[in-house]
Amino acid sequence: MKALTGNRLTDGEVVFWKAGAWVERFADAELFADAEAGEAAEAHAKSQQTVIVDPYLIDLIESEGLWAPVSYRERLRALGPTNHLHHGKQAEGGAAIEALQHASGAARSKGRVNLIKR
Amino acid sequence: MYQYDTLDKEFLADRAAEFREQVGRRLAGEITEDQFKPIRLMNGLYLQLHAYMLRVAIPYGSLNPAQLRVLADIGRTYDKGYGHFTTRQNLQFHWIKLADTPDILDRLAAVDMHAIQTSGNCIRNTTADPYSGATVEEVDDPRVWSEAIRQWSSLHPEFSFLPRKFKIAITGAAKDRTAAKVHDIGLMMRRGRDGTLGFEVIVGGGLGRTPFVGPTIKEFLPANRLVSYLEAVLRVYNRHGRRDNKYKARIKILVSALGAEEFGRQVEEEWAKIGPEGDLPDTEIARIRGAFAPLAFDSLVNRSEAFETAKAADPALARFARNNLREHKRAGYTIIEISLKAIGETPGDATSDQMDVIADLAERYGQGDIRVTHEQNIVLPHVKLDDVPAVHAALAAVGLATPNVNLITDMIACPGLDYCALANARAIPIAQDIARTFADQDRAELIGELKIKISGCINACGHHHVGHIGILGVDKKGEEFYQLTLGGSGAEDAAVGSMLGPALPADRVAPAIDTLVEVYLRERQGQERFLDTFRRTGVVPFKEAVYADAN
Repeated sequence: MKALTGNRLTDGEVVFWKAGAWVERFADAELFADAEAGEAAEAHAKSQQTVIVDPYLIDLIESEGLWAPVSYRERLRALGPTNHLHHGKQAEGGAAIEALQHASGAARSKGRVNLIKR
Repeated sequence: MYQYDTLDKEFLADRAAEFREQVGRRLAGEITEDQFKPIRLMNGLYLQLHAYMLRVAIPYGSLNPAQLRVLADIGRTYDKGYGHFTTRQNLQFHWIKLADTPDILDRLAAVDMHAIQTSGNCIRNTTADPYSGATVEEVDDPRVWSEAIRQWSSLHPEFSFLPRKFKIAITGAAKDRTAAKVHDIGLMMRRGRDGTLGFEVIVGGGLGRTPFVGPTIKEFLPANRLVSYLEAVLRVYNRHGRRDNKYKARIKILVSALGAEEFGRQVEEEWAKIGPEGDLPDTEIARIRGAFAPLAFDSLVNRSEAFETAKAADPALARFARNNLREHKRAGYTIIEISLKAIGETPGDATSDQMDVIADLAERYGQGDIRVTHEQNIVLPHVKLDDVPAVHAALAAVGLATPNVNLITDMIACPGLDYCALANARAIPIAQDIARTFADQDRAELIGELKIKISGCINACGHHHVGHIGILGVDKKGEEFYQLTLGGSGAEDAAVGSMLGPALPADRVAPAIDTLVEVYLRERQGQERFLDTFRRTGVVPFKEAVYADAN
């Protein structure tokens, strides 16, 4: 299973693809079981230059009956920083946030490693 | 401090207006992200994990109260009510919106601040001793020379697209608080035998994936020849630096490949071509020096009865005085270092409210002078001993009186994977764990000076290579692990630490530090610091203890 993510151009907010639009909550993201559908959405997203910066697909795993990003970096993006638990998306709380916090998958994030260079 | 003239002010206003127009074109789709990214980076704006990050330059770590108040207000208005002081004496805002950035740059420009050359392959902000102009140890005020470098290097057309970024540090004291020996160029001020002022020039130090303590390529450079000599160094680097490979592009790789002697020879050759006409005229140096003229200090005796009485009555004040005050060159004054390492908090973070309090204290008690240290603390460099109790009380009221400067809980930590798109592992929670482990101040004082430095990736913004204990976050198949190094130093006795052994999982790091400290307390002789004991005993007793525990 995959989801499509990126940062919104105007404010840098982490957003997820949902049927041609972008949503702020990972729990609301469209999930792609079909690789071709995900890649088609990614291609479409890349054409939205005034909306999104560097969209990319992420791998998901199951956590507490819900889906969560496999990579820890992506879970941090979907939650917020661990040193300020009231900052970022995690501040909202709830079952979907807790499922992300409890997820334990481990894999390197492929998407953003080269996004910025010092 | 140095005052911008009309030309400087107009330039900053124009530059902010230019960026406003560029942001407008990006939002309207007139330029692509690929076209815009180098432009925003030239204005210190990065895109990180959760939002944009704006890195604001604090030239040689020096601020006035009006500037700090504006930083506080930007934090309050455009961020989440705080800012993060970095290991290069700058300040980062981690929750910035692109659309707000032009307004933020306008606010900064109004107080002579900007984010220019805080990114990119150019000459970055010069690091200077945060105790400049105050410490009894200095032979000259490095801010004079840092300001000269700022003016020379700002938008320098020849050095705006170097093979890689370039960082200079200057210390006016033999005691190095700038990590000069691990900068691209480290300048250590000296008096020649005839009393003239000069610099020992160290080139090719650095951290990152290939750490080096830089070699000295010139024992004594007359101070008035500084700019032409820097130009010669930069020119040799610009000509031969490895533009073909980002990982080999820093000057340290070139100096290492050529050898310090050959590199120095090429610099001398280039320097001879430039000649003294490449230097600032003495009148210009004198003009800059005028901006840092000694302040109007009162004539006092070097003992304050009010302070002594207050210390005797208040153990917390006495502890703060023991750990956070440093000797001032004028009798009756002291340097106060404010720790941004409260136990369990994020190293280097200050809330907007805290910044406002520091600005108020600097104005009321500190001659309007504020400094940022590369170890992520704040300094009030000129406070009367008489006023220390009042300053301490005001700091304590906002959680800024942590009495741990140079102690084990006064750690450097980069933002790590909690914020940074480059990081492989988190650094902040490791620092928080260690701080809680050593929260007992009596024990921290018993341990004495111990510098722990934590980086979330090999780029080493957290200076882990030069920590007495260094901690490097690594990604092992997607999980956070931490490599420990021992025996590093970023001070005048600079050294790159050596790796202790296999990386540890996050929850084993603080217990391992505890074990290392126990070995030190068992082994130490006399007044040895952790670093001294390690250098005497070598790694064996430390390694045996940590990995015996781990097994």
